[in-house]
Amino acid sequence: MTVRSSTQQHKPLPNCSAACPVHTDTRGYAEAVSEGDYERALELLLQANPFPSVCGRICHHPCEKECRRKEVDAPVNLRMLKRFVVENTKDYRRERRRRIEPFRGKKVAIIGSGPAGLTAAHDLALLGYHTVVFEQDSRLGGMLAHAIPRYRLPLHALNEDIDDILALGVEAKTGCRVGRDISLEEIRESHDAVVVAIGLSESVTLPIPGSTSEGVLPGITFLWDVANGHPPPLGERVLIIGGGNVAVDAARTARRLGVSRVFLACLESREEMPAWQWEIQEAQEEGIEILNSWGPKAILSRKGKVAGLELKHCTRVFDEKGRFNPQYDEARTMTLDVDQIVMTIGQRADLSCFNERELAMERGRLMCDPHTLSTSEPGVFACGEVMTGPGSAIQAIANGHQAARAVHHYLQTGERLVLPREEISHLGPLPPRVASLARPMPRKDAALSDPQERTRNFSEIESPFNEQQALEEARRCLACAMGAQLESSQACAGCLTCARVCPFGVATVERTAAMPAEECLACGLCAAECPAAGVALKRFGTNQMKKTLREMLASTHASHILRPFVIAYCCLYETTGRQYLQPQSREEIESSGILRVMVPCVGRLSSLDLVEPFELGADCVAVIACKEGACLYPGSEELLQRRVAHAQKFLEEIGLKWASLQYHRTQENAEASWPAIWKEVRRQIAPESGKEAFK
Amino acid sequence: MIVADQKPLHEVKEFVETHQKILVAGCGTCVTVCLSGGAAEARLLASGLRIAFQRAHHPKTIEDDTVLRQCDEEFVLPLLEKVKGEGFDAVITLACGVGVNFLADRLGAIPVFPGVNTTFYGAVMEPGLWAEMCSGCGECITHLTGGICPIARCSKRLFNGPCGGSEKGRCEVDPLNTPCVWQLIYDRMKELGRLHELRNIIPAKNWRPALDGGVRHTVRERIYRLEYKNR
Amino acid sequence: MKSGSNLEKVLKGGHFAVTCECGPPRGPNPDDLIGKIDHIKGFVDAANVTDNPTASVRMSSVGASAILFRHGVEPVMQMVTRDRNRIAAQGDVLGAHALGIRNMLCLSGDHQTFGNHPHAKNVFDIDSMQLLHMVRTLRDEGKMDNGDPIDGKMGMFLGAAANPFADPFEFRVIRLAKKIAAGADFIQTQCIYDMDRFRKFMEMARDMGLHEKCFILAGVTPLKSLGMARYMNRSVPGMSIPQRILERMKGVPREAQAKEGIRILLEQIEELQQTEGVAGIHVMAIEWEEKIPEIMERARLIPRPQVD
Repeated sequence: MTVRSSTQQHKPLPNCSAACPVHTDTRGYAEAVSEGDYERALELLLQANPFPSVCGRICHHPCEKECRRKEVDAPVNLRMLKRFVVENTKDYRRERRRRIEPFRGKKVAIIGSGPAGLTAAHDLALLGYHTVVFEQDSRLGGMLAHAIPRYRLPLHALNEDIDDILALGVEAKTGCRVGRDISLEEIRESHDAVVVAIGLSESVTLPIPGSTSEGVLPGITFLWDVANGHPPPLGERVLIIGGGNVAVDAARTARRLGVSRVFLACLESREEMPAWQWEIQEAQEEGIEILNSWGPKAILSRKGKVAGLELKHCTRVFDEKGRFNPQYDEARTMTLDVDQIVMTIGQRADLSCFNERELAMERGRLMCDPHTLSTSEPGVFACGEVMTGPGSAIQAIANGHQAARAVHHYLQTGERLVLPREEISHLGPLPPRVASLARPMPRKDAALSDPQERTRNFSEIESPFNEQQALEEARRCLACAMGAQLESSQACAGCLTCARVCPFGVATVERTAAMPAEECLACGLCAAECPAAGVALKRFGTNQMKKTLREMLASTHASHILRPFVIAYCCLYETTGRQYLQPQSREEIESSGILRVMVPCVGRLSSLDLVEPFELGADCVAVIACKEGACLYPGSEELLQRRVAHAQKFLEEIGLKWASLQYHRTQENAEASWPAIWKEVRRQIAPESGKEAFK
Repeated sequence: MIVADQKPLHEVKEFVETHQKILVAGCGTCVTVCLSGGAAEARLLASGLRIAFQRAHHPKTIEDDTVLRQCDEEFVLPLLEKVKGEGFDAVITLACGVGVNFLADRLGAIPVFPGVNTTFYGAVMEPGLWAEMCSGCGECITHLTGGICPIARCSKRLFNGPCGGSEKGRCEVDPLNTPCVWQLIYDRMKELGRLHELRNIIPAKNWRPALDGGVRHTVRERIYRLEYKNR
Repeated sequence: MKSGSNLEKVLKGGHFAVTCECGPPRGPNPDDLIGKIDHIKGFVDAANVTDNPTASVRMSSVGASAILFRHGVEPVMQMVTRDRNRIAAQGDVLGAHALGIRNMLCLSGDHQTFGNHPHAKNVFDIDSMQLLHMVRTLRDEGKMDNGDPIDGKMGMFLGAAANPFADPFEFRVIRLAKKIAAGADFIQTQCIYDMDRFRKFMEMARDMGLHEKCFILAGVTPLKSLGMARYMNRSVPGMSIPQRILERMKGVPREAQAKEGIRILLEQIEELQQTEGVAGIHVMAIEWEEKIPEIMERARLIPRPQVD
């Protein structure tokens, strides 16, 4: 019996998360990074994806393609932020591991240990199932371990994710090939459900003349052998057939094996090539010679050995309906002398592990239903590329999650689950009017090692972000749809102040104020100025900040604090490390007399925010804004300065000294200038405040 | 809209010196719009007063609450209940003078103090600048002056043209902030093609409908003291 | 005759009239005022008595005008609407008449923020135009503003001010016409330095025939110094002193500037006498009344006509 669950409605996601097959809370981890909370960022990553280390390196990052920042300058480098998080939380990640003792009394077998299989295993282990992974190879990871070259994904980076998954209690049977060492039937006897996640592990070859010659290498086999330390002997000239990512991987791998001339021939034009554009560009930097719009006609051989390739010009790859239907100009040919040819024109599943009695096949493919992930046999599911066809790692991971859901449902109810159709509402593009007013901040790209250097070996070519780079890049996130909103229409007097202070022309007032989520850039100026105190910020609201402030003070002995006691509101965007982003200890506050409150742009501080600390016992409030002209939000500096002046006058009326509320600016960066500013703040307030300090 | 300015904090502080539990009452309409007495200002004033009394070693309980309008019984009622029910012994209202009176009439033995100075009926000329536009004289004459009121907007309430202090379109009393309203009227009447009407002498005004005629009230018969409501 | 005042007679007799200004003292004692009267007696046809000028408290214009009258100089009693409503204004006019005052100048008055009691409340129940109309009604119809009859008849020569130099310029002549329509028998203008603009003003007035409906007295003030010239140019609203005159004052040593000022004034008076529609001059020698005889003498405007 099959049940159909209703359409799955996601809350409106930011476009980055919506584009991510596993809907990683991209915006959330960018925020966590900007606040120096890398651990929280990792938690957010792991919530959606057990392979953050892998994805931090090789994900094709569809999130970035949809990032609305592109309307301003360029997308946020989300992949590199992810990589930064993973590489800076390694200890934490190990410490947070916990083994789940299976508690459901049911056992699930996963055949194949690629990203889909291991994701399914991970989820099912978390759900309390005894999970066993069958892997024919000695190493887990599937394509990640064998086909993705090490210069893109070093083994240690893969193992970080795999070790984490195994730590849950997932049992791995490596070197165990189904159909040879154990049959599917046997597995089914001892397991309550099976997930087939064997991927597409065989390269397809072209049936052209000469294709059986010595020196014609199937792409996956080639990459697999290299990855496992058995590179085939290669000549001076190697040609790769194919225009996909595996082709590019094969070409760059050949280059690293010392081949002086590596050619890549594909039917597609440069623009049509299915490989990621950045991969193609990097390959060209490494001297790969790409022959676009050429199809193989015949492999030329000498004494049964490859001697060259005859190519014919491809005039069209896709027909009017966009289907793959190449047309050739047979008259236009060329011949290239090469020593080896690597075929990377596509992959297929190796289904030899099952026989037709065990599992239904159809024209050499596994029969399966993409809506339920089920196969012909009850309790046997399929996921990953064997189910979906060729795809990316993150798509396989997403499919692995779905498989775990389907299995869990089956094991709990005996029914097949029709996976809900996802309906994701997301934001439109950032309106050009708003984009043109946002401050451009150049994107930080990963540094790649020099092409000459990097083709010498299989060392990783990409350098990670350092902390400063990561913080700066994280700040570029526009925090889409996390901006201002009216708390209650009743509070709004329609005074237009929000519309008048909004630097981006976003806030409008009809009967009441409206800040369209897809336009608001979350500067917080309207919230700070709203006379009805009726605008809330979904993120970066100062109420939460004040709550934290109260909590911090509650845990501190007022009488132990060094006087004068300064509460310093600091623009967290000026930090280059997390020294000042991490919470202060009680002792530090007490002994320094400085309590830092990190604010993402101090321009959002309301007059009340500036005055209230005095109620909490502060002798002085210092506002430390960003460097001159560095503010992300046009007008924020001016509004803040005026608000400070207003609050100073107000405090003076209360009987406080002018210096009780001070405005300072960061010089260079936080670490370089804040300690000096704090010293100066104390000096300015010091003379009498010691006497009149709160008891 | 009614415009009001905040009273200096020390003045407000003196009002409540002898009280212990004080409610700062904001008003959600006019004074919110003119940034002098809405919820944000009520919170700020309450905080400021707490700090001031704390520093004077006489800490007091000071809370704030804001209602939509302090000039309607229905909106004010919860405020009155709060004051009486929670034992407040004084109220500072940031509403205009109307709110002060309205509360005073209803608070019995509990004193109410003004937190703002009510200034005029005005409009926002540009963000942050409010200007007087009407003086509530009770008998509008703007049909004679192109819709621009010389009573509210001429420093000398002249009815028949600009005085000798009109220079470059500004009023001599406050050239920086005040246009000469007769220049405005002149320009507007010219635009309307009605300049010739300004040759007529506007006779002395009847000030009786204005405050000069005594305290005013208005009855709207169609909903005033409905009988079925009193049955 | 509307009032039978000397000023009215001089003007109606076709003579070039001269009035001057006589500020009341800052206290209860009339001695200083009497001193001023002595300076001007015989040199002018009438003298304006200001009404708490620039909104600063002085002896009342009714009281001071009565003193002038008593000492043989005909007063032009100024009355501003700033300080009195229609009730007080009418009462004061009746009282002034009883004291022998026959000329009055109806003004709205300087705003009190310029004076020595800036915190005072102003009245402005009526404006100068309405005051003119009200006094004319008292005089010609024997009725108060509310229509009630007054007991007896009243004569009063009614004056009004005009400022040809304020804005909007095009409205200035219209306003003059309105004042005449409201009851002005004569006009005294703001002091003139910019003769070009005044000529233009007069031309517009003549075009409307206003010079035939009332007597226009051109206001003049001798410049005592370059400093004074600059101050008036800069700080007195609705007054501009042409660069030419400033240059001229600048061109002489400080101690000779007062003399130069009088020389300029005399040239001006000469031109004004030639200007069609100008019926006389009003000399505002502010706290410089002692110069009036010299000015009049040098302008060959004495002796003053005796008209009956």
